[in-house]
Amino acid sequence: MRILRYIGRRILFVIPQLFGIILVSFFLVKLIPGDPAVMMLGPTASAKSLMELRDRMGFTKPLLTQLMHYLHDVVRGDLGTSWQTTQPVTEDLFQRFPATLELISFGLLLAILIGFPLGVAAARLKRGPIRKFADYYGLLAGAMPDFWLALVLIYVFYTTLNWIPAPLGRIDMAVLPPEIITGSMVIDSLIAGDMDALWSSFGHLVLPVLTLGLINAGPILKMTQSTVERTLDSDFVRYADMCGLPRRVVLRQAVRAALPSIITIVSVLYGFLIGGAVLVEIVFSWGGAGQYAVQGVLNADLNPVLGFVVFSAVLSLIIYLLVDLLYFALDPRTRA
Amino acid sequence: MTGVPAAGSAILEVSDLWVGFPSYREQTLHALKGIDLRIEAGEMIGLVGESGSGKTTLARAIMGLVPPPGVIERGRVLFNGRDLSAQSDAARRSVLGRELTMVIPNPRAELNPVLSVGRQISNIAFYHLGVSRQEADRIALDMLRAVHIPDPERRFNAYPHELSGGMAQRVVIAIALVCSPRLVISDDATSGLDVTVQAQVLDLLQTMVREKGAATLFITRDIAITAHFCSRIAIIYAGEVVEIADRRRFFARPGHPYSIMLLAAFSHNPALRARWTRAEEIAGATPSTGCAFASRCVRRQTRCLNEAPSLRPLASGHAVRCHFPVEAQA
Repeated sequence: MRILRYIGRRILFVIPQLFGIILVSFFLVKLIPGDPAVMMLGPTASAKSLMELRDRMGFTKPLLTQLMHYLHDVVRGDLGTSWQTTQPVTEDLFQRFPATLELISFGLLLAILIGFPLGVAAARLKRGPIRKFADYYGLLAGAMPDFWLALVLIYVFYTTLNWIPAPLGRIDMAVLPPEIITGSMVIDSLIAGDMDALWSSFGHLVLPVLTLGLINAGPILKMTQSTVERTLDSDFVRYADMCGLPRRVVLRQAVRAALPSIITIVSVLYGFLIGGAVLVEIVFSWGGAGQYAVQGVLNADLNPVLGFVVFSAVLSLIIYLLVDLLYFALDPRTRA
Repeated sequence: MTGVPAAGSAILEVSDLWVGFPSYREQTLHALKGIDLRIEAGEMIGLVGESGSGKTTLARAIMGLVPPPGVIERGRVLFNGRDLSAQSDAARRSVLGRELTMVIPNPRAELNPVLSVGRQISNIAFYHLGVSRQEADRIALDMLRAVHIPDPERRFNAYPHELSGGMAQRVVIAIALVCSPRLVISDDATSGLDVTVQAQVLDLLQTMVREKGAATLFITRDIAITAHFCSRIAIIYAGEVVEIADRRRFFARPGHPYSIMLLAAFSHNPALRARWTRAEEIAGATPSTGCAFASRCVRRQTRCLNEAPSLRPLASGHAVRCHFPVEAQA
């Protein structure tokens, strides 16, 4: 009951947060140089037709009036239209967000699978090869740009070995995509039982997920290692040792106590990657939301940019709410 | 030094134990310098000393867990005939928490913050007694009842931060006694509690230990506490036992100037306090050749600075490490 009240309060608090985010990003986007009218009509358009278009799109009105109009539309769920795709931004984003989420969800899952066990092992063993490997890995993953690693992986696994399909999108042109249920092509093909689509979408997913997984395992590894090291050194672990609890039980308790910090870093990475995976999206022609937003910025197409910001903000707020609920589940001290 | 060890009944035998903390730059710091201590089965012995005297190091050494970088340099500790520091990690863990247990001073920091207290007691029973989880939970609930925690069914699911200090201390006592150990080490266990709560918890600890027939090494800074229930008192100063005696003998005729200083500190007679406390210590470090207590001793003579005294018997069961022990009344 208390939990429900808490969730309710948090969701209510989302409204002013969203308003603030829209306010800031609206003015920031308006500061971007570039005239949408020129972009749309081309360099040869007459001054008169440019004026007319600007007028029609409302760009001649005062900024505050424009903002009011935008907010008025957002409240009704209308994020405007992109002149590049000539489609409503909401529709575009609902097509592209699942692609990004599939990519970063699987990528982070892989990153956790690499970083977490390696971090725990490195925290336990103060010296030795595993510790050395973890140290170098953390350094390397932090130093390496993801798009560069993506290109290397493409060169090795596509160009040289040819194990993997061409890095163009989420599925082969020749293969019919499965019906959209979850938005993840791999899972949807699995649900549909379509082996061709599954194989093709899986093949396309491998390299970008590997890229994101290998890079983002670095911070997860570091965070896991340092927090587990700290809990292994804490008073309650020393007491558990004095009580003669088996080693594996003590280690489990130490890892359990470190989980909140690890969950925090994962959620921060997730929120960051919604927009931060854009270079990987571009390298693999993924057609995700980040790519869409960058196209918008480059072409002075403002509605997609703002729409992306709104979508990411809502998603981040949902993630942080989930994280808070996980804290509740993990640490009784937060349940006051 | 304490004579020929008697056969059989000793539960703990510490002989000539030296523990040092090596340092790269300076000389090795000796936390314990030749400790001899023998505890018979079921005996309650009080070990009194100020902070830094080596009390906690001794407790850790008895458990075979000298905190790094400390090392046992000489001598040995035999618990129930076995040297825990020489045993494998798994073998040591099967003794600790079951036969040899510890009551800690600051339970709200040292209990696991994310496990319910019932679960933490139950864990000890589960892993040491080889019983089922249900049985372990039942034992844990019985223990909560035995340590007089009100409303034990509800408190079983409470977390450490939800308990008062005295309540948490009772939980730690339950953890220490759930497996009916042979020896309980209480390390400054009640130092964080209010005086009234402290008395309650001490009474409880004493009763429970008697019931279970365990021996107790009662480590404390507060000499008054030991007067109530320890059968023997040992005074430790700078890593050495400076006096050891039966309780009656100790409180009637303390022999070491340091012991008398500790006792006088509790006296309401300012003249007595002043007589046994040096107004100012002599400058410089304690002379390495002489008695460790010399710099603070009111009875110091030249010999004390040059020659370290050994632990000499004063009477039967009463030994003092002093060249000039106080023979008559204090």
